[in-house]
Amino acid sequence: MWLLRFVAVRLLQAVPVLLGVTLIVFLAIHLVPGDPVQMMLQGRATEATLAAYREKLGLDRPLAMQYLRFVVDAVQGDLGTSILQRVPVARVIGERLGVSLALLGFAALLSVVLAVPLAVLAAARRQRLADHLIRLGGTVAFAMPSFWIGLLLILFFGLQLRWFPISGAGSGFADRLHHLFLPALTIALFLAPLLIQSLRAAMLEVLTAEYVEVARAKGLGEGRVLLKYVLRGALVPVVTILAVNIGWLVSGSVIVESVFSVAGLGMLLVHAVSTRDYPVIQGLTVVFAVLVLAVNLLADLAYALIDRRARVA
Amino acid sequence: MPMLTSLARGRARFAPAAVAAGFVVAAAGVVSVGGCSREEQAKPQESASAPAAAAAPAGPKRGGTLVFARPEEPQTFDPFIPNDNGSIYAIEQVCDSLVEPDTTGEGLRPGLAASWTVSDDKLVWTFTLRDAKFTDGTAVTADDVVFSLKKAGAESAPLASLYAPIKAVEAVDPKTVKVTLKQPYGPVLSALSAYAAAVVSKAAYEKSAEAFGQMPVCSGPFKVKEYVRGTRVVLERNADYWEAGKDGQPLPYLDAVEMRYVPDTNARVLGLKGGEIDAIAIVPFNEAEGIKGTPGLTLEAAPVFRLDYVYINHKAKPLDNKDLRLAMNLAADREAIMKVVFFGFGEIPNSYMPKVNFHSDAVEKIPYDLEKAKALVKSSGYKGQTIKLMVDTGNAPSRQIATILQQGWSEAGLKVEIVEFDVGTAFDMTSKGNYMAYVSYITSDINDTDELATLQADGTGSSKSFFSNYRNAEVTKLLTAARSDSDAAKRAELYAKVQDTVYHDGYSVPLNFTPSLNAHHAYVEGWQTSKTGWWWLKDVIRNK
Repeated sequence: MWLLRFVAVRLLQAVPVLLGVTLIVFLAIHLVPGDPVQMMLQGRATEATLAAYREKLGLDRPLAMQYLRFVVDAVQGDLGTSILQRVPVARVIGERLGVSLALLGFAALLSVVLAVPLAVLAAARRQRLADHLIRLGGTVAFAMPSFWIGLLLILFFGLQLRWFPISGAGSGFADRLHHLFLPALTIALFLAPLLIQSLRAAMLEVLTAEYVEVARAKGLGEGRVLLKYVLRGALVPVVTILAVNIGWLVSGSVIVESVFSVAGLGMLLVHAVSTRDYPVIQGLTVVFAVLVLAVNLLADLAYALIDRRARVA
Repeated sequence: MPMLTSLARGRARFAPAAVAAGFVVAAAGVVSVGGCSREEQAKPQESASAPAAAAAPAGPKRGGTLVFARPEEPQTFDPFIPNDNGSIYAIEQVCDSLVEPDTTGEGLRPGLAASWTVSDDKLVWTFTLRDAKFTDGTAVTADDVVFSLKKAGAESAPLASLYAPIKAVEAVDPKTVKVTLKQPYGPVLSALSAYAAAVVSKAAYEKSAEAFGQMPVCSGPFKVKEYVRGTRVVLERNADYWEAGKDGQPLPYLDAVEMRYVPDTNARVLGLKGGEIDAIAIVPFNEAEGIKGTPGLTLEAAPVFRLDYVYINHKAKPLDNKDLRLAMNLAADREAIMKVVFFGFGEIPNSYMPKVNFHSDAVEKIPYDLEKAKALVKSSGYKGQTIKLMVDTGNAPSRQIATILQQGWSEAGLKVEIVEFDVGTAFDMTSKGNYMAYVSYITSDINDTDELATLQADGTGSSKSFFSNYRNAEVTKLLTAARSDSDAAKRAELYAKVQDTVYHDGYSVPLNFTPSLNAHHAYVEGWQTSKTGWWWLKDVIRNK
């Protein structure tokens, strides 16, 4: 029962968030100079042609009316038509959503796979060489811009060792994993240090907790204590960190998708912004907002399942 | 294919150019070890035009799939919508026009029309169609041509102004089309060779224009097999194509072309060096030497109808003063720009527009002369106003150009500030006349001088002389006369006069007749870029 109410409340809360986000983006893209029609026709059209286009696309109406129409249509599931491609926005986005979700999911998975063992090692060997090395490495990886890491990975794993393809998203499950490994790793190298840091801190805290002392006093080995008691108690922050960073993940994927020529939503956004393809930008805003809200909802649910105290909120 | 190709340059801006470029240069050595040593039989081939020369005695090698990476992707295959290179260059591979440019780029040769005649008053052009088939197996008829040319001239069409002088298009019989002009129109054949006048299957287009944009039904050398937006277009050989190759069999030689969309410059160059990609379009100038020096790779520096130049808004004070504009020209160190920015690729211009068919070499170049520039600035009555020189954000070459110009102009006594805007904003400000000077470029859609001469210099047009607000009644008169003449010698004379006048009016600050840099592996033979920027893929042989 708590579950239903929990989800219902969160969904209701999402409505004003969505409205707010789309309104802000709508205003922002219309306040920035730029004319999609003039850009599409590249300065070679007559005034009459330009005006006819603007009318056809509804760009001649007052901004308030344009936004209202967007909301009304969006509620009915219609995100409009791309100005440049003449194809429904939902289809343009739909064609690329899978790739981006696969990339984000893969990146999240890789960062957990990287972070958990390293964090356990760092916590177990705190203030010793392994701990220092892991923390230093994390800081370096975190500080490097992702396009740079991406290029390094391309050069080493793609061109020298030839283990992975360097562009595109592949087709079919195995091929896609193969193609997305380097871009996902690029994102993971940014995300993993965050996870390592918080997981290590949480574990250090738990390591001195009374129930851990009890476990030790009962004669359990240090390895068993670490894995069975400490890690479990410290996993909650990992979920939170992942969820909190989904927004960063999405924005990071824009850069990574460009470097690796992965035809996902990020690359689509870059192109839509440069050509002022308003309906596509708006549609992507909705999709990104829903994505972030959904992931946060799932994280809260997971949190609530792990820890009963969180169910009240 | 106009100025907004700068999107392609702009898109790479997420990998800040300087860092990335330096990195790739450093990496090139590493790469060539593992990547390219396979192709030792490197054979310099600056601008290959004779595929047969390189072929085995049995005739050119047929078959294979060419993997070709481009920084732009098609938005649609509907020829009556787009004006972006991503779409245009792909449409050129799948759709035919009545006439096509010849391989020199300057002339024309028969396309879907096997021949044509013109009435004595130069008003009625009669085209006889060859036996050609659309990719759905139906014959190309006069009805399809009439339908297509009407779409090309519709108000919403991308190059509508080129077809405005056409009064009527009629089908005389299934193989004959009559085009009647309102007045004699010199560039008519050139206009009919453009992508925007492609002949489409009327039946397929009328059934669904949207479906046509995805899977076009035309009669060109290739047909679309797969179109994955954002990733690739796979073009398959059209077995029914009308033109024969050197071996007497129908073109194209290739079985297929996989056009990959790879917007990131480094990814394209690295993919080529790594052997994953056979050919790439748009090599940045700073990578050119590296590619030339890589065994097994061929760099193509193809002359195209492109001029890089500084747009000047003649309405923005103090740029309304001709002496001041001439001073800006005199104080522009073009040699330095050629060396630093273009790495020597190109030619210092003597014109306000690209080098198209009626270009005159006789027009005298404005020299680099700081002393004269200083004198002109003084005598122009310049009061120290700041000249804002606009560049696209993240476009490193433009920024370099601006810096070199700023230096010279400052020495001549002008106050110059460089301002950066993203390409969408910059173009919007330019088209609204809300700018002073803008580092950009222009390219021609057809191989006749008229398109750009008119667009750039006829002040009565709707773009206000391509946003320069240049107006010269004498030039408008010359252009009108040149357009309505069909005597080539007479037209050449008129356009030369226009070129001389407009250029020496300080219309703009021209910088470079910039070539298009492309690269491919040596086993890719017969590669040639057309002067309007696309590639004759039907003549390409993948000899591997």
